[in-house]
Amino acid sequence: MLALVVSHLLVALALPWVAARNTRAAFTVAALPPAAALVWTLGHAGAVLGGQEIVESLAWAPRLGLEITFRLDPLALLMTVLVSGIGVLVLLYCPGYFGPGSADGRRSAPLLLAFAGVMLGLVLADDLLLVYVFWELTTICSFLLVGQSGISREQRRSAMQALVVTIFGGLVMLLGFVVLGEAAGTYRISELVADPPGGGAMAAAAVLILIGAFTKSAQLPFHNWLPAAMVAPTPVSAYLHAASMVKAGVFLVARLTPVFAGVVAWPVLTAVFGLLTMIVAGWRALHEYDLKILLAYGTVSQLGFVMVLVGAGTHTGAVAGTAMLLAHGLFKSALFLVVGIVDHEAGSRDIRELSGLGRRLPWLVVIAVPAAASMAGLPPTLGFLGKEAAFEVFLHGGAGQAAIAAGLVLGSVFTVGYSARLLWGAFANKPGIPATAAHAPGAGLLLPAAVPALAGVVLGVVYPAVDELSAAYAAVFEAGTDPYHLALWHGLNLALLCSLIALAGGLVVHAARTPITRVRGRLVNPLNAQRAYERSMALLERVAVGVTGRVQAGSLPTYLGIILLTVLAVSGTALLTRSTPIEQFRAWDRILQVPLAIAILIAVAGVVRARRRLTAVLLVGVIGYGIGGIFIIDGAPDLALTQFLVETLTLVAFVFVLRRLPVRFTQSDPAPGLRWVKMLIAVGGGVFMAFASMIFSSARQTPSGVSEQYIARAEQGAGATNVVNAIIVDFRAFDTIGEISVLAVAATGVASLILTSRHERRRRRGSLPITERSAADESAAPGNAGAAGPIRPGTGEDPQGRDPRQEEVRE
Amino acid sequence: MTALVALPVLLPLMAAGLSLAFGRFADIQRVLGLVVLGAIIVNAALLLYVADVHGPIVLQLGGWPAPLGITLIADRLAALLLLVSSVVTFAVLIYSIGQRVADYGRGTSSTTFHPIYLMLCAGVSLAYLTGDLFNLFVAFEIMLSSSYVLITRRTTATRVRPGMTYTIVSLTSSILFLTVIALVYAATGTVNLADLAQRVSELPDGLQSSLGLLMTIVFGVKAAMVPLHFWLPDSYPNAPAPITAVFAGLLTKVGIYAMIRTQTLVFQHESTWQLMLAIALLTMIVGALGALAQDDLNRMLSFLLVSHIGYMLFGLGVYDIAGLTGVILYVVHHITVQATLFLVSGLITRHTGTVALSRMGGLAKAAPLVAVLFSIPALTLSGVPPFSGFVAKLALLQAGVDAGTWAAYGVAGGAVLTSLLTLYAVARVWSRAFWGRPQEPAGDPDPSDELVVGTGTTSPAMMVASGVLAATSVLIAVAAGPLADISGRAAVDLMHGETYRTAVLGGGAGG
Repeated sequence: MLALVVSHLLVALALPWVAARNTRAAFTVAALPPAAALVWTLGHAGAVLGGQEIVESLAWAPRLGLEITFRLDPLALLMTVLVSGIGVLVLLYCPGYFGPGSADGRRSAPLLLAFAGVMLGLVLADDLLLVYVFWELTTICSFLLVGQSGISREQRRSAMQALVVTIFGGLVMLLGFVVLGEAAGTYRISELVADPPGGGAMAAAAVLILIGAFTKSAQLPFHNWLPAAMVAPTPVSAYLHAASMVKAGVFLVARLTPVFAGVVAWPVLTAVFGLLTMIVAGWRALHEYDLKILLAYGTVSQLGFVMVLVGAGTHTGAVAGTAMLLAHGLFKSALFLVVGIVDHEAGSRDIRELSGLGRRLPWLVVIAVPAAASMAGLPPTLGFLGKEAAFEVFLHGGAGQAAIAAGLVLGSVFTVGYSARLLWGAFANKPGIPATAAHAPGAGLLLPAAVPALAGVVLGVVYPAVDELSAAYAAVFEAGTDPYHLALWHGLNLALLCSLIALAGGLVVHAARTPITRVRGRLVNPLNAQRAYERSMALLERVAVGVTGRVQAGSLPTYLGIILLTVLAVSGTALLTRSTPIEQFRAWDRILQVPLAIAILIAVAGVVRARRRLTAVLLVGVIGYGIGGIFIIDGAPDLALTQFLVETLTLVAFVFVLRRLPVRFTQSDPAPGLRWVKMLIAVGGGVFMAFASMIFSSARQTPSGVSEQYIARAEQGAGATNVVNAIIVDFRAFDTIGEISVLAVAATGVASLILTSRHERRRRRGSLPITERSAADESAAPGNAGAAGPIRPGTGEDPQGRDPRQEEVRE
Repeated sequence: MTALVALPVLLPLMAAGLSLAFGRFADIQRVLGLVVLGAIIVNAALLLYVADVHGPIVLQLGGWPAPLGITLIADRLAALLLLVSSVVTFAVLIYSIGQRVADYGRGTSSTTFHPIYLMLCAGVSLAYLTGDLFNLFVAFEIMLSSSYVLITRRTTATRVRPGMTYTIVSLTSSILFLTVIALVYAATGTVNLADLAQRVSELPDGLQSSLGLLMTIVFGVKAAMVPLHFWLPDSYPNAPAPITAVFAGLLTKVGIYAMIRTQTLVFQHESTWQLMLAIALLTMIVGALGALAQDDLNRMLSFLLVSHIGYMLFGLGVYDIAGLTGVILYVVHHITVQATLFLVSGLITRHTGTVALSRMGGLAKAAPLVAVLFSIPALTLSGVPPFSGFVAKLALLQAGVDAGTWAAYGVAGGAVLTSLLTLYAVARVWSRAFWGRPQEPAGDPDPSDELVVGTGTTSPAMMVASGVLAATSVLIAVAAGPLADISGRAAVDLMHGETYRTAVLGGGAGG
């Protein structure tokens, strides 16, 4: 099975080269892997229905529960036949639809095949996470297939909507999978079915997973992406949006219903949302003029119907669900292909423009009628079998069940109604509309549509085959004494009556379409999903812009202030609330420290108040010399010497730079309120640091073994009488190498900037040819104004923004 | 054997000197850089193998026993990140050589770029390998000072300010870092990480948590966690593509690495750590919303970078073996993918001549290969399976769900939402830049600033480099099994610091 899936993807990878040369050949080649999958699956059908299951497993990341496990069981068999079978037909239909040399065709061939591959993987997967992998990949394929060239705004918007809605659901579902998998200790679906976990997490998992299934299968209120996706080429819609991808949601529910047998929310949610979807979308379909959109709403409606069945968690529900799943895949893909042919040959799919096509395209009618009959649930089609079984599910329970049954009947009335509308709209002679001209479609278009349409009838007639398949899947559920079997005739019973009511009601609805449309015009639509989607996306944009605009101020002082505030708020709080009082506090060690400290503080205040740059720089120098003085008092003359040297050098460098800067700080004074805020932050930061250094210095519990060792070993081990030297060049020589490297980097950077400006000046004078400038130094580039002129005020003093003192602080 | 631990630092340091000396010989510089960075890949792979099979490899520099001298140590985490980082630096070097040759011809040398770039690599390697807090500061300084030069190279009037924002914020955090080191030394009398583990635990609770939080803030600025992230989206987009790629790929992750290392090895896990979950959530959401508000491709990617830092903080906030496994996987994934995205953004803007998404269009047709190269890392970043982002995200979600607290559930939900927003953001790039009608390339006002080079030409080397990185992230997904295992073992090492301490200090831990 892995080989089958991989072969799809590999061929798809190679397909663009084929498609660039011959589109028809590309689609033919593309049909081969799904055909192989179909043949392989049908070859194993007997064994699978006989109770055997074919399993393949490959470890991926076992630690995370990721494994590639495929399992062919009855449900997978049914889905594979649908996915690969319809896949082959659609791919064979494509050349006729797209025509040679169509860019959409070239693009679609590999994408459709890749989609067939990931869809196959999805239905065969026996691992929740693997399901998720393929699930999201189908979404990506759908995004690209709906968007196509993305030339039109509508394509882009529809593709994006489908993507956002289904990925949203997918991600929520992933969370559900993880909750489920972690609760059970396994992600293997067959193991979960065999031994469903219990506990409170299950309800959460159920809701999360259902959200995923609802989005993918276009259930209310997430359904609107599907009609919007009808901008896609019709074969794409027939395949993705009728037969396969949208089925993923109901398929998943069918897979997991046994796992969630103990969760009440599961059948309730599927019934409520499924029924609501079936009725609302069915009602919508009754009023659409675009045949494709009509079918899309029909699909939404039918998916709701299937959702109700597969979520029910009963034996009959499972039988009915699988039958409807198969029936819907067949008739809906056939109808989409038919509409595609109408569109292709008549140039329109608008009911208000088409007239008299039935007479011009008789073969198309022959295909469309059985498919629509299956959709409407007429005997002897598969659709009839499924619908009968569906009514049966809810006819023998309490009031709740009866309500569901009534809802299903109402939904079916609409289904019959829009089935009639479809046939009437596409083929009928409409008074007042001129007969539509149409070419005769070729066999290449008709045959792929005819196969599923007729299969719906054939399978209805030879119902035991479908019944065996359905029963094989339904075997997980308790069957009771008299399990339900699909059959064309169950005798005169309630289900048959329901079918008759649906049929009659539907025909009445169709006949009364004009008054009904008038009624609909007066109804206010309380829940417009499309508008809700658009509004929430617009809201998202607004929130994004609003939040970012407020948060991202673009001002460096603000950023620095926030960093300092964070330090104060977070670690200051921790220090204040949880620290022990300082022991052995001494205000000073030597009295000389006091005047020095006062001088430093005065200088600090002066720096802040200074208006002239030179004043500020000189005062910063005073601070540095003051600190050097403290070093002397503490008995570290070498350290003090370094400090004085660096301070002097910095001052000199500053003075050189200041020559080229305005005398005064040019930034306007901030508002008084802001000044206070800045001052508070600055003072707070200083106070925090002062307290922190006192607290931490007094916190040492044990003497530092390291410094004692340094003193002990300096002479013997490092051959130095000066311990500081020994540390710098021996004990921690690697730090020194590192810091020298930093200086080298800074020097290179500065040199590069200086060279730039020099070359820039020379180039401006024209003495340096343009080709050589880069050879000399790469920074010499035209328009390189930043380095040439004076650095802009307010951007820092040093061209590299490095403070040379920094290298020395550690000493 | 132990020399292997020093080589990833020493080789690029020495090569940087040579490269500077050969500043006028373009080919020598290029070969030198490629050989050295290629050698580091091999070296790192060896380190990872040895560290995984035989335990951490320790080198006491100068032969001084810890905690006297400086310790270099390669354990699983350090070796793994070194390996991934070296692949990225190698690919980015190929890209920038390709870009330079494409724009200026083969003979044109680049005096400062190669030496400084090698310095940056040396700093990154040292940051991973050092077992000493002060030496970590030195590593940061080497890395950052190189980055200051790289971000202000070829600077123009408009780019001075963003460069300054970057430089000054980084310097501020460096000063803060140095202050913290001073406080640590004052309180404990040692800066050796293994030794600190013992000594910090002897401090009163308040001091421990205060130090731990201060250190988190220091590294948080480098890692761009909200609310310390502002500098990043303001500065990164203003550097040329390869520079931004290596910054985005590596520098923030070095911050995360330092955070992981100190928080697991040195500090005790305590209740205030729950705060990290809130910060993780905030980082994810603020970053993702920021990305949605951008029209500038690079700025959008920068916000996404911030957003995904949140995932790493998430795992760190969960603070158990599963959580740390997730973090390690996420870091490995994110280093490659974010670098790839910025490289590809460079390719995109060469075709469009602008970073404004609203002025792009039709690239899928005009440059299909770029479209493929964009889509892979874009999907990877959004966590779309089966790419590496999915694997890493899955590990984090599992860790969050297993943790079972409401905070962890909340952040797991936030992570899922962020994935959606990320996908929306990159899908919008696709929709605007790759779909639609092809646009005339915008005139590039200054092609030499390397910020946007709208020449419409790309060299094979640039494509290959981007392709190699994209392939690496695919490989990460394919090899998710062994990678998750080794990350898991690394996480176990982190949670039980004994291995590390014993390796550094010898049998009697605590020294």
